[in-house]
Amino acid sequence: MADAQLLDRRIEVAQSGVEGRRRNVLAGAWIALLLAILAFLVIYPVLTLLLGALTDTNPVVDGLSLSHLSIGNFLTVLSNPNVAEALFNTLVACGGGTAIAVVIGLLFSWIVVRTNTPFRGFIAAASILPLFAPPLVAGVAWSILGSPKTGLINTVFKWAGLEWRVDFYSLWGLVFVFGIYYAPYVYMFTSSALRNMDPSLEEAAEISGASAFSTLFTVTFPLIMPAIVSGMLLSFIVMLGIYGVPAVLGAPANINVLTTYIFKLTNWSPPLYNTAAAVAIILMVVTGALVYLQQKVLSGRSYTTVAGKAFRPRSLDLGPWRWLTFALGFLYLFVVVVLPMLALIVAAFRKFMFIRDAAALFDMRAYSLMHFNAIFDNPLTLRSIYNAVEVGIITAVVGGALAFAIGYTIHRTRLPGRRSIDLISTIPVAIPGLVVGVAYLWAWIGIPGGLYGTIWILALAFIARFMPDTVKALSTSFMQIHRELEEAAWVCGKGTLATIGTIVLPLARPGVIASMTLLFVLAIRELGSSLFLYTSNTMVMSVLLLDYYEGGNIGKTAAFSLVQTLLLAVLIGGANWLSRGAAQGGVVQGIK
Amino acid sequence: MMSNKIAALAAMVGLGIALASAPAKAEENFGPPELIAAAKAEGKLVYYTANFAEVEQQVIKEFNKRFPEIKVEMVRAPGGQLITRVKTEAAAGKLIADVVDHSDRALMSELVDLFQDYAPPNAADYNPEAQISPKLWPRATLVWSIAYNTELVKDPPKTWRDLTKMQYDKQIGQVFAQSGGTTWTRIMFERQVLGEDYWAKQAATHPILYPSGAPTSDALVRGEIAIAPLLYNAIYPKQKEGAPIKIFFPPEGAPVNPYATGIPKTAAHPNAAKLFLNWCLSKEGQTFMIKELGNLTSLKEAPVYPEGFDPKVVKAWYPKFDEYVKLHTDWVAQWDKTFGYRQ
Repeated sequence: MADAQLLDRRIEVAQSGVEGRRRNVLAGAWIALLLAILAFLVIYPVLTLLLGALTDTNPVVDGLSLSHLSIGNFLTVLSNPNVAEALFNTLVACGGGTAIAVVIGLLFSWIVVRTNTPFRGFIAAASILPLFAPPLVAGVAWSILGSPKTGLINTVFKWAGLEWRVDFYSLWGLVFVFGIYYAPYVYMFTSSALRNMDPSLEEAAEISGASAFSTLFTVTFPLIMPAIVSGMLLSFIVMLGIYGVPAVLGAPANINVLTTYIFKLTNWSPPLYNTAAAVAIILMVVTGALVYLQQKVLSGRSYTTVAGKAFRPRSLDLGPWRWLTFALGFLYLFVVVVLPMLALIVAAFRKFMFIRDAAALFDMRAYSLMHFNAIFDNPLTLRSIYNAVEVGIITAVVGGALAFAIGYTIHRTRLPGRRSIDLISTIPVAIPGLVVGVAYLWAWIGIPGGLYGTIWILALAFIARFMPDTVKALSTSFMQIHRELEEAAWVCGKGTLATIGTIVLPLARPGVIASMTLLFVLAIRELGSSLFLYTSNTMVMSVLLLDYYEGGNIGKTAAFSLVQTLLLAVLIGGANWLSRGAAQGGVVQGIK
Repeated sequence: MMSNKIAALAAMVGLGIALASAPAKAEENFGPPELIAAAKAEGKLVYYTANFAEVEQQVIKEFNKRFPEIKVEMVRAPGGQLITRVKTEAAAGKLIADVVDHSDRALMSELVDLFQDYAPPNAADYNPEAQISPKLWPRATLVWSIAYNTELVKDPPKTWRDLTKMQYDKQIGQVFAQSGGTTWTRIMFERQVLGEDYWAKQAATHPILYPSGAPTSDALVRGEIAIAPLLYNAIYPKQKEGAPIKIFFPPEGAPVNPYATGIPKTAAHPNAAKLFLNWCLSKEGQTFMIKELGNLTSLKEAPVYPEGFDPKVVKAWYPKFDEYVKLHTDWVAQWDKTFGYRQ
């Protein structure tokens, strides 16, 4: 609130255009405030982490001393061939995964936006569903399906008399699962670009005699290249930081990626946090290089696909082929949602996961509610659900407001310092969750006032960690609103806060609500940074889920995964319904 | 069928005895009345453990049958993470734990100064070999066994050395050495008791390596692996629930890992913590953990033994603590090399 008032005052003063000096002071104060928040949320923890990587001490236990400073950890890490191998595996898994994600994401955005495929709305919904699956759950589901020895897919092949066998405990398994689960990131970027694209160039190509197919590759895709590159890099970066999928699928074949390697370092006895911090810095460098690359590729190009001219996106008549595209959509839904859900349902209701053959799968005596009874018999289950929802709401509201303030400052003002704000708010994307958890613990435990041990330390960690995602998601909405609308309000004598309230916020509302929902989902899913920050009172669902998984009980893990999925579906459905109501209400009010 | 009936009968008789002896048990000393009153006044305690949450939830439930007034709030983390958390919290003056329970005595021995003096009423009944400091107590004592999936193994192994037979090639699962105190105890036992070349011979059967006992036991139940050395308490509950598993204690010896559990000096609920530990270390608490969870005990005279554990045949093997600390780094590195485990 204070921020908003400050901004309000700043703008009113700016509007009057009289007291230039006072305006500068207030603008400076606003930037300073944002920078101070970012310093606390991002810079300070990153510095603690860097210090940890450069010493062999625990910054809290041994104090912040620079006497042990050395690059010893880096040298150990760099000279270790296993780190090089983990890095190689990481690049192969994420690279291959990204390739699949781009193909799937692009295909579906084209199907949904540009063709007359039946049930497009349904395909559009299917395309983003995987976002809601926590990586650990996806990993567990695919290990039940794709294990070379006991996987359900192989059991079914054997039953059908087929010679085919699949082995998901391999680098290719990782590539496949990464690819199908992170395609939505590409889809989100490319579908909006396609929707907002002026089709006149495509029409020109076709009039000149190009086929629909070659138009697609010579005109359409090059035009939305910035969106493809953004989606590609984001999905790559997200894959880099995923722990759950490689932990489950890579471990049996002794395949390490950087995240599982870091987790191992923190989990060994004795734990090697300083080495883990050094490995994490490598991960950050890789990510940083990619973010830089993205900026480089996109800079100097025009993103303007929304012009002042009204148009209607073309829809291609596929004729009978539309049933093929529909089948593709259905196949994707089946592979990414139905199969894993079936696997989880089998595991959750089956007493034991020993399945001799396909017939044993249908032996109803093997099924019971015992895992559900067991998890709800545990008092931690309900508490963790309650805590997770509480943290999710705090994170969504506070993080959403902060991201709005940052996004507005970056994209809608010309204040000095906004570039640094942009840069700093992007840093957290590069830090793996597990390591960031230690960094937050080291950085924030000493703060007087008892932050440690409360729900707030978790919420703050999530707000910081997901700031890049939220700010980027919101930025798209800001970019879509033309400045002239704001300028019109200014000309009519409205102050900046009033302009934000009457123009920007209502227009950006779908984006704001979408970002908050995203933040809520990410907060409920987040595991890495929660591990170090939760205490007995603040246990959250993701930590309890890992606990069930590490406790070696796949039945309880699957049962709790189903509970979590159901809860997310209900909450997101509810939020969607509410926001729709709110949006309509808003429109109605606007008309009056 | 016959044996089932006998088992059921035995269970009923056992229950009868347990019920009949309940009043007698109430006289077991859990601490002076003033301690119990003070613990009830505190009403809760915060319990940090490296053991599995599910297992400890059962312990807490049983404790609450006797002392329902005391709420036990648990924080569970894997060994390495738990130690980091305890160290960091303690350094910041915010150690929340009233009880810290850890499987790796070597890691705990570095933290002895954090703990206050404590001994249970039955302190004299405990085997001194299981303790590394008079402040830290073997609340839980875990024992290694070998388990196999009866659906997959028709010619089961009978000894540790059988696990080196090539007939079990690619069928065995193992927990890797670096995972913590219990596994370190097992690999020490393998090298010191079964022979210098045991690791190499075992490695030749291409075992699949797992990060801890829990996923190993799950993989065994699912049939991903057919045989595995496992902590008895990690697999026993599954057998009890009816999974196709058989467990045995090999005759060469059963490596034993006692936990180290203590009460920090900064405990906010010291009386509740003491009462909780007194109960866990009492004959009643230990008996519960042996029978229901598949632990062993460090009491000199065990009240009962887990199913299949015959003290006349199987010898519990305790590592020498100085070697446990001294040999760790070198031997684990050699183990990693032998098994091709990538650090």
